[in-house]
Amino acid sequence: MALYDDSVYPVREDLEAVHERQLAQFGVAGVWGSGAQRLAVARETRDAGIDAGIYEVPDDPGPPNANDLPNAAKKVIQKLTVAPKDFLEDSYDEALAGGLSDAEFVEMVGIVARITAIDVFSRGIGVPLRPLPEAQPGLPSRERPQAAVQEQAFPPTIPNPPEGGREAEELYGKQPKPYIVRGLSLVPDELRMHVEQEQVQYLPMGKILQPHYQHHDGLSRAQAEIVAGRVSALNECFF
Amino acid sequence: MTINLRALVDPTQDSGVPGGAALLEFSEAVIGPDRERLDAARDVLALTLSPAAVSGAAAIAGNFSKNDRIANGCGIPVDSIVMNITEDIRAELGLNDFRSAVNTFKHM
Repeated sequence: MALYDDSVYPVREDLEAVHERQLAQFGVAGVWGSGAQRLAVARETRDAGIDAGIYEVPDDPGPPNANDLPNAAKKVIQKLTVAPKDFLEDSYDEALAGGLSDAEFVEMVGIVARITAIDVFSRGIGVPLRPLPEAQPGLPSRERPQAAVQEQAFPPTIPNPPEGGREAEELYGKQPKPYIVRGLSLVPDELRMHVEQEQVQYLPMGKILQPHYQHHDGLSRAQAEIVAGRVSALNECFF
Repeated sequence: MTINLRALVDPTQDSGVPGGAALLEFSEAVIGPDRERLDAARDVLALTLSPAAVSGAAAIAGNFSKNDRIANGCGIPVDSIVMNITEDIRAELGLNDFRSAVNTFKHM
């Protein structure tokens, strides 16, 4: 059975495949978090949304939470989920002072952001939030990119080529990328999965500068931008 | 087609885009707490545009909910090339008043 078989609205196969793969991947050890820790971040994100009334309790939430996150992590997740416009530099500083490393923070932001994308989509097409998977055994890889330096974001990022060297070219290609792509580069796997969602839920990155490119059936580019712009305005996202 | 971008911050205005009112209402409802409002907005969008438009709009709303959390969580600035070409529209829409604008202006 496919992930969105219960939807009365048509769902692109590529989007469904990415969501299926990324939901399962929340339960697998990442770069800084174990499978259980990553799942706990995803579940805490959902619970914050449910408590705030912006998600409904799912029929099947998946296995119970087996990992208690530190308070610093819970605060980040709560604010990013419910009031992202209020997440400012003091929130980041507080997270680090609370014991999170910069790289753990970035991995957590990536998970919060990606489960939010999946859950808002589910709610949008009128299906219950999809169950989260079982945590898989395994240890995080703990690989920090050598090229990451403090630029203009809160956490360190990998600069564009040529400054970012081989790691930058592997992640970004030859062309410079904006901060919305590079923001998660301290944890390259999170950046890759963010871009993977972007390509199916918005449009392929190579098509962004083509004003009439239509990615979604039934929505012109202008109609797609109305949704993008309104959601970002409501979230008071300057970007 | 002329798009009225002010509708993004004031949805009582006509965006100038076919189905724009239905899209604006769906965008607000899908990230809001009122489930009945969302169900109604989804029905209207499907009737006004198409069932496929509901899936597309849901995907885009999810995607930009993601991007907003990455942008604000990581405190990224808007790249200078974008700032240079959006000065007028940012002022017109009041975007410079958003709290997260500080992440860009502190580097200028």
